[in-house]
Amino acid sequence: MTGMDLDTMKKAASRSSGRTLTGLLVLFQATAMLLLTFKIEYTLNLQSLILAAAMPAVSLLLLKGLPKVWNIDRVMLTMVLFLCSVSIVTLTATMKTSSAPLTQVIYIGVGLVAMIIGIAFIRKLKYWKRWIVPLMLFSLVFIALPLVIGDWKNGAKNWIGIERNGETLISIQPSEFVKVTLMFVLAGFLSERQSRAKTFAAVVFGALLCVILLLERDLGALVLYFLTTIILYFLATSNLLITAAGLCAGCMGAVCAYFMFDYVKTRLAIWQNPWLDPEVSGYQIIQALVAIGSGGASGMGLGLGLARDIPLYYSDFIYAAICEEFGFVFALLLLAVYVIIIMRGISIAMSARTSFHALLSFGIVAILGLQTLLIVGGNIRLIPLTGVVLPFIASGGSSMVSYLGATGLLLGISSLNADADQEDIERAEWRDGRLV
Amino acid sequence: MRELRRNMRVVGIIMLCMFIGVGSWFGYSAYLQGTRWMTSGNNRRINSARKTVTMGSITDRDGTLLAYTDTDGSRCYAAEREVRRAVSQTVGDTLSMSGTGVETMHTGILLGFSGSIIDRTWQWMIGENKRGDDIRLTIDAGLSAYISEQFPDGYTGAVAVINYRTGEVLAMVSKPDYDPYKAGTSDVVDTAYLNRCLQGKYAPGSVFKIITLAAALENMPGVSSRAYTCEGSRPFGDVPVTCAGGKIHGGLTLEEAFTESCNVTFAALSYELGGNKMVETANNFAFNDNFTFRDLVLYESSYPSDMASVAELAWSGVGQARVLVTPLHMAMIAGAIGNGGVMMTPKIIGQITGSTGIPRLRTDEGSYKTVISENTARIIGEYMKETVEDGTGYRAEVDGYTVCGKTGSAETSNDKSVATNAWFVGYIEEKSSPYAVAVVIEQGGSGGDKAARLAGKTLKKAIELIG
Repeated sequence: MTGMDLDTMKKAASRSSGRTLTGLLVLFQATAMLLLTFKIEYTLNLQSLILAAAMPAVSLLLLKGLPKVWNIDRVMLTMVLFLCSVSIVTLTATMKTSSAPLTQVIYIGVGLVAMIIGIAFIRKLKYWKRWIVPLMLFSLVFIALPLVIGDWKNGAKNWIGIERNGETLISIQPSEFVKVTLMFVLAGFLSERQSRAKTFAAVVFGALLCVILLLERDLGALVLYFLTTIILYFLATSNLLITAAGLCAGCMGAVCAYFMFDYVKTRLAIWQNPWLDPEVSGYQIIQALVAIGSGGASGMGLGLGLARDIPLYYSDFIYAAICEEFGFVFALLLLAVYVIIIMRGISIAMSARTSFHALLSFGIVAILGLQTLLIVGGNIRLIPLTGVVLPFIASGGSSMVSYLGATGLLLGISSLNADADQEDIERAEWRDGRLV
Repeated sequence: MRELRRNMRVVGIIMLCMFIGVGSWFGYSAYLQGTRWMTSGNNRRINSARKTVTMGSITDRDGTLLAYTDTDGSRCYAAEREVRRAVSQTVGDTLSMSGTGVETMHTGILLGFSGSIIDRTWQWMIGENKRGDDIRLTIDAGLSAYISEQFPDGYTGAVAVINYRTGEVLAMVSKPDYDPYKAGTSDVVDTAYLNRCLQGKYAPGSVFKIITLAAALENMPGVSSRAYTCEGSRPFGDVPVTCAGGKIHGGLTLEEAFTESCNVTFAALSYELGGNKMVETANNFAFNDNFTFRDLVLYESSYPSDMASVAELAWSGVGQARVLVTPLHMAMIAGAIGNGGVMMTPKIIGQITGSTGIPRLRTDEGSYKTVISENTARIIGEYMKETVEDGTGYRAEVDGYTVCGKTGSAETSNDKSVATNAWFVGYIEEKSSPYAVAVVIEQGGSGGDKAARLAGKTLKKAIELIG
C-alpha cells in the first residue's frame, strides 16, 4: 500500500463531520416551532414552545453523543432527524390540536430508542444465521395476525389493535415491522450465494408474505415487498433472466388483480380521471392537487394552509400537505433529502465488509426509496394511489418506529465499516513502519 | 463481492433516475399547471381568501380596467357596457359562471396566492390590507368591443384574433355574450357563458383544406403541378363528395382548387394520401393534442384516427365527417402559416404586478411546435394570398395590407335547408402587423360572405388600434 492510498483512506474515514448541517437542522427546528408557538389560533402554544427547545436539544445530544460511542454516519442521522422534525412541524401546523403531534413526538422518541437498539444489535450480531429461522416464523405469524384478529380499515385488513375496556389503546401495522425482518431474512439467505436451496427459500418466503398481504388487501406493502425481494435476488445472484421473469410475473399479476378485484379497478379509474366524480371518489386526489396548486412555489405559510380538506392529510397525503404549507420548492428539496439518505445508504452497502451487511443495508434503502417514490407519485397523480405512507414523516407509530429501527441497523453497519477502515489504516501504517 | 457491488451500483443508479424523474415531472407540472390545479375542485381557500384579501385588478393591454375591486370591496367590471359584454367570457365573473374566464382560472394570482415573501413583507410594513396581484391581459378592449359591434345581428359564433409572432391573444369574442353584473340571473342565456373561441368545437369545413394542402405538399412530390378535373361530384365508397352549391369547377390547378375551394379535388387528395398521412399532418397541426397552456384552457380539437370508411377519409379532407376544431386553435393554425410554420403558444396574461409595483418574472413559453416546413408554409401562404386577392375570400381584403386567408362553409346537418357555418381564417402577411384571425358565424351561410367581411374589418381595426 502506498502513502497516497493511506491518506485517501484517512480522509474517507473522517469525511462525515458536518457542523453546518447540524446547525441548520437545529435552526429549522427552533424557528419553525417558535413560529407555530405564536401562530396557532394566536394563543401561546406551550407544547410548541417546549418542543422548540426540546427538539434541538435531543438532536444535539444524538448528533454529538452517538458519534462519540460509535463511528456512525452523521450525515445520514442528521437527515433522518430533519425528516422527523418536518413531521412534527407539519403535523403541528396542520392538525391544530396538541394531542396528535404529541403522539407523533412519542412515536419518534420510541423510534429513536429503537434506532439506538438497532445500532447496538447489529454491531453485536456475530451469528446472524441463527436468527433467520426464528425471524421468518415471527414474520409469517405476525403479518398473518390481522387476518385473524384484525378489522377492516380504509379497505384493508392490515392492522391489529390492542384494546382495553373496548377502547383501542394502540394499533399496530405488522407489515411495517415485517419490512425490516424481511430484509434481514432475505439478506441472510441470499448472502450465501452457492446455496441454491437458500436462494429458493428466500424467494418462497417473499412470495408467501406477498400472498398474505394480498389477502389483507394491503396493496402498497405488497408492491414494496415484491419489488425489494426481486431487487435483493438480483443483487445476490446477478441472474438477469429470472429477475426479468419475476418482474414480468409481477406485471401479469397486476393485470390479473385489475380484472379480479374491483377496488383495483376503482383506484385506477380515479387516477385516470378524478374529475368524473369530484365530490366522492375523486375528492381526495383533487383536494390534494388543489392544495398543491394553492401552495404554489413558496407555500401558503406555516399554519396558514387548509390541508385538512384532504382526507388522510396527516398520513397518506402528508406530502400534499407539505406542498401546501411549505411550497413545492421545499417539497422538491425534501425529495433531495431522501435521495441523500439513499445515496449514503448505498455507500454504506458498498463499503460493507460482508455480503450479509451489504444486502441488509441495500434492502432497507431500496424499500425506503421505493416507498417514497410510490407515495409521492401517488400524491401528485403521477401514478395510482397505493396505501403506503411517507417514511419518517407521515403520522403513525408503526412506520416511524420500524423505519427508525432500520436506520439504526444502517447506522450500525456504517460504524462497523468505519471501524474496519480504521483497522485497515492502522494495519497499513504498521506495515509501512510509521507506527514504531 | 465485486459482482454484488456492481449490481448495487446499477440498481442505485436506476433508483436515482426514478427520483430525478418524479422530481422533474412534479416540479414541471406544479410550475405550469399549479394555477389550474388550484381551481380544479372545490377550493375553500379561495372562498376564505375572498373575505380577507382585496382581489387584484384586470386590465387590457392599454391599461383599460376590465375588472377591479372598489373601496367598499365589491367587484366591478369595465365601465362601458359594450366592452363589458365583449370581454365577458374572457374576463369571467364573480360567480365563475364562465369557467374559463381569468377571474376563475387565475383567481390564485388575483388573490395573491403566488405572492412572494417580498410582497408579504412589504404589505405588512406599510400596513396595507392584504392585496392580490394585478393582471394585465394581452387583449384589446377597443378591438373586442368593435368586433362585438360588427358581429352580424342575430347570429351566434366566435372571433379570435392573435399575434402570430408572439402568441398573444388580442381578442376573443364569443356570441352570445353577457353582462357580468347579471351573471347567474335569468337575463342571461346559458350558452352565453361558453367561450366559443376556447370551448366551441366546430366542424371546420373548407378551412381544413389548409391542413390537407400541407399534407399533400409535404408528402406528394409534384402535387402542385398536376392538373385536376372537377365534375361537381365524385363517389368515394358509396358516398359522393360534392362541391358547395352544386358547382362544377372543371379543369383546374392545385392553386385554383384551393382558392375556389373545390371539395372534389381535396377529397381526392385526402383519399390518395391515406388515413395515416392525414392523421400525421393533422397531429402536427396540434389536432388531438391535450392542450395544457399555462394561461388559458383550450379544448382539444379532434381529427379521427380510426376512420371507418373511404367516404369518411375523403370527407375529413374537406373538414367534415368527425373533424372538430376550436376557433382559437384555427387562428393559431392560420398564424402558423404566416409565421413560417411555427405555431406559437397562446398567451393571454401580459404582465402580473405585485403590490410593490414590480412586475413578476414570467418565463416566456415561446413556440408551441413547428407544424410544417418553412417552404410548405410559404407555398400555402401564396395560395391563401391568392384566395383573398382573387378567390372566395375577396371580401376580407384590407387596403394597403396583404391578407392571406381561407373561407369555409361547414355543414352541420344532413338537412340541406340548414345554413352552413361560415368560416374565415387568415392573417396579415406584413411582419409589422402580424395578426391572425379566425371567424366562425353559426349558420352564417357561405364563408366568403359575412365571415370574410367581418374578418377583413377586424384585421383593419387591429392594425388601427395596435399598429
